[in-house]
Amino acid sequence: MHYQGDSWGFYMPMRSMGSDPMERVVKLASESAVVIFSVSSCCMCHAVKRLFCGMGVNPTVYELDQDPRGKEMERALMRLLGNSQSVPVVFIGGKLIGAMDQVMASHINGTLVPLLKEAGALWL
Amino acid sequence: MANHRVGETGLTDSGPSNHHRHIPYAALHGMNVPTSFIHQEGSAFDFGELEEAIVLQGLKIRNDEAKAPLFTPSRPAATLEMFPSWPMRFQQTPRGISRSGGESTDSGSAVNTLSSKTEHQIEPESPNSKKASSSDHQAFDQKPLQHQQHLQQQQQHQQQQPEMASDSSRTGTSQNQSPGKPPQEKRRGSTSEKQLDAKTLRRLAQNREAARKSRLRKKAYVQQLESSRIKLTQLEQDLQRARSQGLFLGGCAGAVGNISSGAAIFDMEYSRWLEDDQRHMSELRSGIHAHLCDSDLRIIVDSYISHYDEIFQLKAMAAKSDVFHLITGMWTTPAERCFLWMGGFRPSELIKMLISQLDPLTEQQVMGICSLQHSSQQAEEALTQGLEQLQQSLIDTVAGGPVVDGMQQMAVALGKLANLEGFVRQADNLRHQTLHQLPRILTVRQAARCFIVIGEYYGRLRTLSSLWASRPRETLISDDHSCQTTTDLQMVQASQNHFSNF
Repeated sequence: MHYQGDSWGFYMPMRSMGSDPMERVVKLASESAVVIFSVSSCCMCHAVKRLFCGMGVNPTVYELDQDPRGKEMERALMRLLGNSQSVPVVFIGGKLIGAMDQVMASHINGTLVPLLKEAGALWL
Repeated sequence: MANHRVGETGLTDSGPSNHHRHIPYAALHGMNVPTSFIHQEGSAFDFGELEEAIVLQGLKIRNDEAKAPLFTPSRPAATLEMFPSWPMRFQQTPRGISRSGGESTDSGSAVNTLSSKTEHQIEPESPNSKKASSSDHQAFDQKPLQHQQHLQQQQQHQQQQPEMASDSSRTGTSQNQSPGKPPQEKRRGSTSEKQLDAKTLRRLAQNREAARKSRLRKKAYVQQLESSRIKLTQLEQDLQRARSQGLFLGGCAGAVGNISSGAAIFDMEYSRWLEDDQRHMSELRSGIHAHLCDSDLRIIVDSYISHYDEIFQLKAMAAKSDVFHLITGMWTTPAERCFLWMGGFRPSELIKMLISQLDPLTEQQVMGICSLQHSSQQAEEALTQGLEQLQQSLIDTVAGGPVVDGMQQMAVALGKLANLEGFVRQADNLRHQTLHQLPRILTVRQAARCFIVIGEYYGRLRTLSSLWASRPRETLISDDHSCQTTTDLQMVQASQNHFSNF
């Protein structure tokens, strides 16, 4: 994507770009049933992707290292979760599930699959 | 037994080869050795002297065909004399032994040595009395004057002579003498005998020297052995002590000395955790047997779950300092290590094991357990694939690109290694969640039984490990054979299947 604001270069403050990184995150998260914020070189992100693909879910993945504003979004995500790791972070049906920890816990205690079904990401 | 000792060690320090040579020589001693009765000198065996004796023997044979073996006992006896530690009372027994020994053909030479040895027991006691005289007969006569025992021995000796001769002939050495010739006849001086006396004296003196030297050598050797034995027992004790201390520090891992401090601390805490585990298990068992009410039992079950939470927390801390220690399973026993997955047990395997053990389950419970197993498997698979990607990335980094900058490469690799901690933590998280989920599916009583099963299962794995570690090594060979036969069988079956397709 190519925003008009980009041509202004690095000197423009973020706000004038029109979106707070957190807002962007939330916006992106609500656009698909399953959203994963990832970094392409991160192995745990790979694991989370494999988990969903193994369940038959087709998640929307945003590689933040390939996004011009990825760094800010990563920082925002870190603040959101209070983690030292910014990625992976999973949203299902626009709702924040969390990092790998929470995704695993949710899967084991049986709450993940109903959520996926609710969001329409998983059919029987 | 003394026999064999004599046979083996009689000849100085020449080692095992001498052992084999000793017997023929002993047999050889059955031959007429034309020395005077001054064999009492107690000289050690000397091959050079033997050769000389053989030569002289031939001489003697030519001179005197009908000579009974005189010196038969002395030669081997000379060798035996190297064991002065043998009690004197041994001398008294030979008569019976040699007589009875004479009957057994297979130990003919041994008998020779035995009886000759007994003969020679006299020697050490009175070396000074054994003066070589020009006349054997004289020497022979001198003995009774000086030592009563010698008289006895000589009588024995004379009596034994025929037996010795017959023994010797049985051993197959060539015997030219007819048995029964009294030794005195042999001692009747012939000129050649008188000439031999000087040589005999020299030879005997040399034998004496050699015997003395080999006695000293033997003493030194025995002392060395004794001190080595003491040292060995001391070392063993030290090793035991160190091992027990090391075990206290290093848990059940064997690698004392190779262990980082973080790992050592974890191992120590893990061994304490294992003790706690035993306590919890017995609480659970007594709770079940006492038919406690559900709420009371639930307290015990919950405390067991938090007991497991503890170990996961400990592992999380250990992962920060030494993730390799956890991921290689050095904190567990070998059998557990065999089934290790990401630094611990594989939850889906545990659940599979439990399904068979927790028999009376409702259908809903069975479905719950199966779905738990299924989700666990999916999660495990995802983590495994993530770890594989990490490994691949690490391989790429360590292998290096076209431009290899050592420090940079290492820094990148170190950064990637740091991700290992995350995987171990996620795996532990999976285990933790699985264990928490079980009591949600099961009733309290079932949950208590379930945790007993889990505890006993891992306890048995640990026992298996220690039994395996202390198994006798000889079975390794038979194991190989059995492995071979099973693969052969499999191959046969496979080929049969192949043909059955047609």
